[in-house]
Amino acid sequence: MSDRKKASLLVVVIDTNPVWWGQRLVDQPDKSLTQFLDSIMVFTNSHLMMNHRNKLAVIAAHTNQSCFLYPRAESREAAGGGEPGGAAGAHDGKYELFAQVNEQVMEEVKNLILTSLEGHSETDSLLAGALAMSLCYIHRCEKESFTGEDLSSRILIIKGSEDNPAQYMNFMNAVFTAQKQNVTIDACILDNDSGLLQQACDITGGVYLKIPQPSGLLQYLLWVFLPDPTLRLKLTLPPKAQVDYRAACFCHRNLIDIGYVCSVCLSIFCSFSPICSTCQTTFKFMGLPKIAKKKQKKLNP
Amino acid sequence: MSRSSEEVLLMVNYVRNKKTDGMLYMMGERMAWMQNSKNTFSYSHPYADIKSQKISPDSKEKVQLQVVMHNGSANTFHFNNPEGRSAQIQDRDAVKELLQQLLPKFRHKLSSELEEKNRLLKENPELFQLYKDLVVTQVITADEFWATQANKYTNGGEKGELKQQTGVSAAFLADIKPQTDGCNGLKYNLTADIIESIFRTYPMVRKKHAEHVPHEMTESDFWTRFFQSHYFHRDRTTLGNKDIFSECAKKDEEDIKEEMDKNVKDPFLDLTQLTDSTLDEGYGGTTEDKRISHNHTNLTMIRRFNYHSTMVLKACEKNMGQQESHKGDSATNSSEQIGDSPSPMMNGEASTSSNTEQSEPVTKKARIREKLELEDFQPEEKEKSLNLQLSRMDRYLHGPTPVVAVRYTTGEDMMQATHSVATEISHWTPNLTQVISENVALSVLGELSPGGALMHGTSLQQLHQMVSPNVQEELKQQYNALCELLRHFWACFPTSSKFLEEKVVRMKSTLERFQMAKLNSLKEKLEEDHYSIDLTGHMEEMLAAAYRKFDMWQSKRIQKKS
Repeated sequence: MSDRKKASLLVVVIDTNPVWWGQRLVDQPDKSLTQFLDSIMVFTNSHLMMNHRNKLAVIAAHTNQSCFLYPRAESREAAGGGEPGGAAGAHDGKYELFAQVNEQVMEEVKNLILTSLEGHSETDSLLAGALAMSLCYIHRCEKESFTGEDLSSRILIIKGSEDNPAQYMNFMNAVFTAQKQNVTIDACILDNDSGLLQQACDITGGVYLKIPQPSGLLQYLLWVFLPDPTLRLKLTLPPKAQVDYRAACFCHRNLIDIGYVCSVCLSIFCSFSPICSTCQTTFKFMGLPKIAKKKQKKLNP
Repeated sequence: MSRSSEEVLLMVNYVRNKKTDGMLYMMGERMAWMQNSKNTFSYSHPYADIKSQKISPDSKEKVQLQVVMHNGSANTFHFNNPEGRSAQIQDRDAVKELLQQLLPKFRHKLSSELEEKNRLLKENPELFQLYKDLVVTQVITADEFWATQANKYTNGGEKGELKQQTGVSAAFLADIKPQTDGCNGLKYNLTADIIESIFRTYPMVRKKHAEHVPHEMTESDFWTRFFQSHYFHRDRTTLGNKDIFSECAKKDEEDIKEEMDKNVKDPFLDLTQLTDSTLDEGYGGTTEDKRISHNHTNLTMIRRFNYHSTMVLKACEKNMGQQESHKGDSATNSSEQIGDSPSPMMNGEASTSSNTEQSEPVTKKARIREKLELEDFQPEEKEKSLNLQLSRMDRYLHGPTPVVAVRYTTGEDMMQATHSVATEISHWTPNLTQVISENVALSVLGELSPGGALMHGTSLQQLHQMVSPNVQEELKQQYNALCELLRHFWACFPTSSKFLEEKVVRMKSTLERFQMAKLNSLKEKLEEDHYSIDLTGHMEEMLAAAYRKFDMWQSKRIQKKS
C-alpha cells in the first residue's frame, strides 16, 4: 500500500548546443537533434507511464541560456495555453499528458533555437545554470508535495558538447547541493567524456554512461536511466568507472597526480616555485639541502 | 630433585596431599611437596605463581592450608602431625607465616611482567596470531618479539602506572577482626598490607618499629604491645605514659601543634581570618562566635581528624614532589617550597631564612592577582596579521581543461552549424513510433548485458565472493606475519651498528624461510583450489623488494671492505 504514495520527479537536462549539433549534422546526417529529441520524448513518456504520480521537467541547456521546455513558465502558459490544448484534443485518443508534454517540448525547442539564431554562440553549454534551475524546481516540488507523499527526485543530464572550465565552481556547488538534497544526478554522454559529470555522478550516486552508439539512445535511456535509483541496486547495470578526482594545477590547468600546494592560499602548482604566484608568500626551504649534504658525505669515503 | 643452590627454608613432615602422606619443603623460590615413598617432588609451586593462601578455620577438625594459583587452580595441604592438634596447628602456622613473608616479595617481580604479556596476547587476537606465527614457529625469538611489540602496546600501561597511590581504607582496623581465643584474649592476623596501613596512618609507629624491632623485641611482641597500648586506645581513654608508645602520642601532639603554627599561605584559604561578623549595621548581626567546645573527647577527636587530613594531604604532596623530581624539573622552586618548607611564616612575622621572606609577599600577590584578574575582562589584544592578498582569484574558479583535444571551430563554422540546426528543427515533427530500429536496439542490448562492451569489470568486483572466507582468513594471517617480518627487516636500515648488520642478515634468512615454508605452501594450496587470480603476487613483490634491498646493501658492504 505504501507504494501508492511514492512519486518520482525526473528532471531531464538536454544539451541543445546548436554549434555542436550542427557539426554533428554535417558529419553524420542521420544522427540529428530531432531524432535525439524524439528519443527523449519517448523516454519522458515512459517515465510518466511508470506511475501516474510521477512528475517530469525538461530543461534545455543552451549555449547562452537555460530554459524550461516543460512545464512551461506560467507567463508563457497564459499566452499560448489554449492553442496546444486544442491541438492535443485533435489527436487520436492519445493520453493528454503525453500530448501536452510532446507539444510543449517541441514548441519550446523550436522557439529556443530559432530565437537564439542572432546571438553569439559558444561551443559549450550552460550546464551549471540548467543544473541549478533543476535543483530549484525539485526543491519547489518537494515543498509543494502533499504530506505523506514520498517524492524522490533525480536529474538526468544528456550532454554532447564539451565541459566549460569556467563554470567549474558553479557546477561543483550545484553538485554538492544535489548531494545534500539527496538528488541523484545521472549523466548520459553522447560524445566527449566529461570529468566534471563523472565526479557529479560519483558524488551523488548516479550512473555515468558514455554511450557507444548514439543512434540507440532510447534503448540506453530505457535500460539504464528509467529505473529509480532504489531499484538500480537490484539490477545488473554497467559498473561504475574509476573517477578521476585529480586536481588541476593553477599554472597550466593540467591534471596532476602530485603537485605543490601553497600552505597559505591552497593554490596548486605542478612545479615548485619559491614565491606563490597567487598570494605572494615566500617559502624558505630548510630541510632539503641538509639531506643532500649528508648524502654527499656518505658517498665520499 | 631440587637444585642444590636452593636453600630449604623449612621442612614440615606429616603433610598429606590428595590423601597420601608426604613432606612439605619451603624453599627460596618455591614450595614443593614430596611423597614419602618417592624422592622427587610431586608438586612444585614457584612463589611467583601463588596468588594467595587460605587456612582452614579453627573450628574445623582438619588443619589445612590451601594455596591458590594465578591460573585459578588450587592445592590443599593437610597437616597431620601425629603429636596432636596443637602440633598440627604449629606446623601450619609456621608454613603460613613463611608464605606470608615470601609471597609479597615474588608477587611484584615476575608475575606482573608475565601477566602483562599474557593480558596483551589475550586482548589482541591479531597480536596473538602474530605471536603464534612468528614465535611459536621460531621465526624470531620471543624476546625479539616483545622488544618490538612491547613499546607499541605497553606505552599506555606505563602511563597508567603513574596513578595516585591508593589510600588507606578507613575501616582497615575494624576489618582485622580479632579472633577470641576463649580465655579473654584476642588474636590478630596481621598481613603485610595491614601493617603497611598502620604505618601510614600512624607514622610514629613506623619509627618505633624501626627502633625496637628486632633489637629489643620480636615482631609479634611489638604488635601485641601496639594493640595493647594506650596509644592505640587513647581516643577512648586519657593518655598514659608507661609504654613505648606514649612517646608517640606526645610526638603526635607536637606534630599537630606544628601544623597549627604553619600559617596558610594562600590568603583565600585562611579560615582563621574569617569571622561571622559584619561591618555595617543593618546588614546582619555582629555577634562573635565564641563557642568553644569543652568536651575533651570531642576535642581529641576533632584533632585526630585534622591530623589525619594533614597526613593525607602530605602524602599527596610527597607524590607530587616525586613526580616533579622524576621529570627533572628543578626550576619550579616555588612549588617545592609549598610542599617541603618546614615552617612557613606568619604574615609579616620575622622569618628565619631571608629567602622565604622575600618570596612570601610575591607569591601572595601573585595569588591575589590570579583571583582578581579575569581573562575575559582583559582588553583583547589584536594580533597584527597579514591580510591575505590573492592576485588572481579566477584561478580558483576554473576547472581543469578537458583532456580531449578541442576541436577548432571558426566563427563561420559555428554560424553554419547553427543555421543547419535551425533549418532542421523548423521542419521537425516528432515521429515517436519510429525512434529506434530493431537492429540498433538489439546491439545496444548486447552491450548492456553481462559480458557486453559496457559491462567490463563487473566480475572483478566480486573478488570477495570468489575467494572463500577460509582462504581470505589465511591470506590475512600470512599478510600480517609477512608484514611484521618485513617491518623488522626494514627497521634495520640504515645499519648503523654491528648488531643491526647481524640482524639484517638474520632477517633475510628468516624471510627466505618464510617464503619457503609458508608462502610457497599457501601458493600450492591456492593452485589446488584453482584460483585464477594471483593472490600471493603482492606478497612476492614485497619479498622481492626486500631481497633487492638486501643484495644492494651487501654488495655495497663488500665494496667498502675491498
